[in-house]
Amino acid sequence: MGKDECKTMLDALNKVTACYRHLVIALGSTSDSQNLREELKKTRKKAQELAVANRTKLTSLLKDKSISKDDRAEYERLWVLFSSSMELLEVDMKRSLEIGQDFPLKVPTRHLIQTGMTGSTTTVAARAMSVQNMKYEADSNIDTTDLRELRSEISQVSQMMEEMEMKVQVAPWAVEAKQEAGAELKSNMSVGNSSVGVISICEEDCGTEPITSLSGPDFYCAECT
Amino acid sequence: MTIRTARPDRVQQFHCRMHCLKKLEAMMVEMQDTKSGIKGSEQKLNVTTIPHVISGKDIIAWIANKLKITPEEAEAFGTMLVAYGYIYPLQNHRKLVMCNDASLYRFQTPYFWPTQNWVAEDSDYAIYLAKRNIRKKGVLEPYEQAHYNHLHKWLNHKWDFIVMQATEQYKAGKERKKADRVVFDCQERAYWIVNRPPRRTHSAMDRGPDRLMDPNADENMFYQQAIMRSKVKSSVSLGALVKYTTTYKTHDPFLAPCTPSNPWQTDNDTYWTLNTRSVQVPTKMRVERWSFSFFELLNDLRGRDDFKIFLKKEFSGENLAFWEAAEELKWGTAASMSAKAEIIFKTFLAPGAPRWINIDGRTMGLTVKGLEHPQRYVLEAAQTHVFLLMKKDTFFRYLKSPVYKDIQKKALNPEPHNFSPAQLEQNAQNRSPGIHPMIIWQQEEEEKAKAAAASAPVDVKAMMSKIDRKK
Repeated sequence: MGKDECKTMLDALNKVTACYRHLVIALGSTSDSQNLREELKKTRKKAQELAVANRTKLTSLLKDKSISKDDRAEYERLWVLFSSSMELLEVDMKRSLEIGQDFPLKVPTRHLIQTGMTGSTTTVAARAMSVQNMKYEADSNIDTTDLRELRSEISQVSQMMEEMEMKVQVAPWAVEAKQEAGAELKSNMSVGNSSVGVISICEEDCGTEPITSLSGPDFYCAECT
Repeated sequence: MTIRTARPDRVQQFHCRMHCLKKLEAMMVEMQDTKSGIKGSEQKLNVTTIPHVISGKDIIAWIANKLKITPEEAEAFGTMLVAYGYIYPLQNHRKLVMCNDASLYRFQTPYFWPTQNWVAEDSDYAIYLAKRNIRKKGVLEPYEQAHYNHLHKWLNHKWDFIVMQATEQYKAGKERKKADRVVFDCQERAYWIVNRPPRRTHSAMDRGPDRLMDPNADENMFYQQAIMRSKVKSSVSLGALVKYTTTYKTHDPFLAPCTPSNPWQTDNDTYWTLNTRSVQVPTKMRVERWSFSFFELLNDLRGRDDFKIFLKKEFSGENLAFWEAAEELKWGTAASMSAKAEIIFKTFLAPGAPRWINIDGRTMGLTVKGLEHPQRYVLEAAQTHVFLLMKKDTFFRYLKSPVYKDIQKKALNPEPHNFSPAQLEQNAQNRSPGIHPMIIWQQEEEEKAKAAAASAPVDVKAMMSKIDRKK
């Protein structure tokens, strides 16, 4: 069903956004490296693919006039989730451009900030790309070439968001959240790698009462792998 | 439509320009230098060892050495670095000061540095609080709990997203090795202590219209000054206003029709030709205006000329000459000021000068002293004194003089025009551009030169000797 597809894709986008943020935080510090830049690039590309896919799916769902009111409310909620993710991603991308420019890698003396972080971010990136191991194949001047691409990607994302705003009329403040305060505590924290297609947060099991009057199918499905 | 902060945010939030940030960033990078930067050591926690720990006294010594300042200043500078969030303390993490001892600090990652463009967002804070909630299993600090509840209410539409992101970020964080996880937690905590300070602490990032400490809120001074101001009774000020309006109402071009006709309405520029600056015979209205006040007389250049003729007859032209010279000094170029001041001193103020003006001793003393360092308003006091002299004495004599009465008689009183619509049409078609301002300016310059030559300082002694020789 369209809705479930949407939800899985949104989950994937959410995961990639979270991982991207972790990677950007490591930029400029002692855990920065060639590999990190490549990881950023790959994660970004993946995020963009997911974003485009999500957008087409959601726009088509929202444009459909024949859906019920409840369904429409649900889709609007998903839309707000999607646009918030995109905002976060856009900010992170812009920041990674700034920090990437300030801390170039290809200079004779690198001055990376000694933050205490020394490990690599391979596992985070692997989580984002949902692979077991990351393969690194970029060439040595990744920081400059990547920044150029990053600029064009940022403008693409900004354009996409503007189009989204124009084409889809969703009032974000009208959406009511399903989670009450403290909902994150009730989730089932599974530590291991989870693959993309399945969401491992089980909310509905615990009988959390949704605070809205929406009676549509709930976002978090009850299956965990 | 969402109110997005990634867009150029022109109105929603005011970000003060923080010019120091770029310089501080450069300094932070310098601190990292392996040879000349600050030496770090390791921090041993239970099982993990985390590198890149620096002690307060090392930082302060480095700053004092680099910037060539005293240790006290370096300590203050260090405290500012901590307060802005470039370095964070590991031990007392809530107190953002730099202590000149062995207390431990660490550098903050560039993502969490204070920047001009990116403001610490509420939604990010909400995600952080949710993550902390997970980590602390629901036990947040009281101020954090208060923020959490507040954000849950106001960011309710995004709350699903916040919960999702928080859980995902938490999980992604677990992918890193243990030491890095600890460092990351410390970093985030430090960032949010700087940007969302706990209750009753003052943050260095306090700025913008909502700041807590407002240096301009000195109301006491304002009220004191208000009490000291002198106040005029409204009966007095209104009386002056009434007097002004009754005197000037016939001269106001909006309230009374101008004779012969308003050129803007009838396209006939007789009014302007009759009222040029150096017209031979002025209009009656103009002459009447000169009698209103001395200020009006001096402001109208034609009136000033007339006054000059009168003064020449009276042999007391030096006052007006001095006044004009002072005006020239005020409005002239800065380069010519000292030269002009010299000339004025020699001509008017020096004892035994050819055109010595008669001002009281105190003003003369002040002016001469001021002329040692000439500036635009050095003659202000003397000029005012001379103005008052002329106003109180010479002006009234002028109004009663034959010169004035003569010009009053000669003044023109043009008949008001009465154009028919056809004539108006014709007028509109016959509009001419008029005299070019450059030509008028040139004429004025020529006249000024002639007048200057003619009214060269009358050397009384030379005059007397001439008369003697004639004899």
